[in-house]
Amino acid sequence: MIGILVAFTVVMTMVAYTVLAERRILGFIQGRLGPNRVGPGGFLQPIADLLKFIFKEDIVPDKSTRFVYFLAPTIATTAALMTIVVYPFGPDIHLPFTLPLVNTNTIPLVIAKFDVALLYVLGVTSVGVYGIALAGWSSNNKYSLMGGLRSSAQMISYELALGLGLIGVILQSGSLNLQSIVEQQSGHLGITGWNLFWVQPLGFFVYLTAAIAETNRVPFDLPEAETELVAGFHTEYSAMKFALFFLAEYVNMFTVSMLAATLFLGGWNGPFVHQLPWLGVFYFLGKVVLFLFFYIWLRGTLPRFRFDQLMSFGWKFLVPLAIINIVFTATLQWLGVFDYIGQVLKTSTGWGG
Amino acid sequence: MLALLFILFAGMAVGCAISMVAQRNPLYSAISLIGVFLALACLYVTLGAPFIAAVQVIVYAGAIMVLVVFVIMLLNVEEEDRPMRLRSLTPIAVGLAAALFAETAFIIFFVHWSPATPTASVSDVGLTSSIGAGLFTTYLLPFEVTSILLLMAIVGAMTLASRAGLLPREAVVVPGYQVLAREVLDPRTTPDLTPIVARSTGEVEEALGVEEAPQITDES
Amino acid sequence: MVPQLSWYLALSAVLFTIGVVGVMIKRNVISMFMCIELMLNAVNLTFVAFSSFFRDVTGQLFVFIVMTVAAAEAAVGLGIIITIFRSRESLDVDDESVLKL
Repeated sequence: MIGILVAFTVVMTMVAYTVLAERRILGFIQGRLGPNRVGPGGFLQPIADLLKFIFKEDIVPDKSTRFVYFLAPTIATTAALMTIVVYPFGPDIHLPFTLPLVNTNTIPLVIAKFDVALLYVLGVTSVGVYGIALAGWSSNNKYSLMGGLRSSAQMISYELALGLGLIGVILQSGSLNLQSIVEQQSGHLGITGWNLFWVQPLGFFVYLTAAIAETNRVPFDLPEAETELVAGFHTEYSAMKFALFFLAEYVNMFTVSMLAATLFLGGWNGPFVHQLPWLGVFYFLGKVVLFLFFYIWLRGTLPRFRFDQLMSFGWKFLVPLAIINIVFTATLQWLGVFDYIGQVLKTSTGWGG
Repeated sequence: MLALLFILFAGMAVGCAISMVAQRNPLYSAISLIGVFLALACLYVTLGAPFIAAVQVIVYAGAIMVLVVFVIMLLNVEEEDRPMRLRSLTPIAVGLAAALFAETAFIIFFVHWSPATPTASVSDVGLTSSIGAGLFTTYLLPFEVTSILLLMAIVGAMTLASRAGLLPREAVVVPGYQVLAREVLDPRTTPDLTPIVARSTGEVEEALGVEEAPQITDES
Repeated sequence: MVPQLSWYLALSAVLFTIGVVGVMIKRNVISMFMCIELMLNAVNLTFVAFSSFFRDVTGQLFVFIVMTVAAAEAAVGLGIIITIFRSRESLDVDDESVLKL
């Protein structure tokens, strides 16, 4: 229970500052300064945005179906936030004393330990599509409907590529449990065991591209681009409901970054993490911040795909590439190449962790 | 504890199912059906089948119902009005519902035979590895036949979609052309899409048969 | 009190009955299709309950295959529904009682 509160607070704070960081970094890429008036260097900007959203007038369109109109941002935000419970933020911390109330001396840094954690993440991401489809429909506005349908079609197409890109990691690790996948990636100095380097470079590329498309970010953000479709599926939403959609998009970005960091970049592994377990949290969050910076960098640099280019890229390029990756990984696994690599590169507590 | 979870999820499943049948707007029926699927997934978890629960959410609630919701939105399905045809059937319906209720109560309260206690953590039947082992050794033939069935479904769906009307064979898809649902589905309104190459507005006007726009001058 | 196997079977029977009632009452083709999916899920619940109580993995394997078949049926069935809608402009089942398309 305490874990849920702590994780929720950490995630929401980081998401709020991601919004600020995005605006400032985009400004620097485009040759201008971002918002820097509120607080020192714009540090209090998220709080100003929050106050603005709370006090804005809440407009409900006249002929929309009210129940679905209120339900859609709820589904989007809930599905986005439900996935943070399975990620291991760090290794188990063993304290030299026992805590008084709970009578244990280990603090696990995972909120929920499932055996099918990875499938749970995929399932919850699938349910998040409904928020967008229902939002597009219930606004009673043809731009919203087109934006909502396009966005949902894009999300379900790239979900397939996302899932197929993950199968390579599952084949090689032999488990769907995220904590065990992370533990299998410990290597010398905490870096050499990562799945990215020796095992799954192609899988990483497929997963990252599919993840950028899943979260509707540039270069795949035609459904919500301001110059194309007014604002897509959230045209008719204002104040708190728009804030919920906005939040859901950034939490989704955060979630897929956490999954990429867990599966491909070694999660909480890093130098000296077995000697000092609480360093794992900083390594994990640092890797997530790296991915978020990559997302923002892509937004400032690349143009968008047109919608038919987007769909043909997903179905005709990414899915065959992911299948080739699976065949390749399965062949190497059967030949025992990964076991050999594992003996050389991965340790459980090698020098430097 | 398990009984409490069962009552909670079973109540949610039955409630959403009744709501699905009673609603007249098909979009609300679809949302209620998603609720039924999520409640059933939670029941599968309490029965010790986590893999099937996750697959239920991914396949049923995340893919099949998305397809149904898309179709409802594209075809713009409206609420149905059900005319009451035979009023004399209502007491019979109430009687049959009471019979179902009585049977369910009898089963729950008076049938106490059970082969074993339900498992949440004792057996490893529901683990992914045992399902995978069964699927690839003993039940390999159904697995392969299912993959052929999916291939048949893909080919069938593509055949239905490419009949004349949805994608006319002589249509040229011009990027950026605004396509609305009614135009996609109605075969009678496929417009002429050959592009016009011209070097000035005057040539385009001649080709389109449009007369020249009136020039705005200072004389009123 | 621990839930018995009979409770799960009773729940499955109730859900199946609600599905059958829906198929008989509804006039919209898509709503009838959704009630058929509800019936399939009731049967899935029976399979999983038996598999869990008798410690046999066969039930869950069959559920897997039923889900796959339901997905394939959904794709083709909705395609047929759209084709019928295109030629008749109506989704009422009573209008679709003639075999001529």
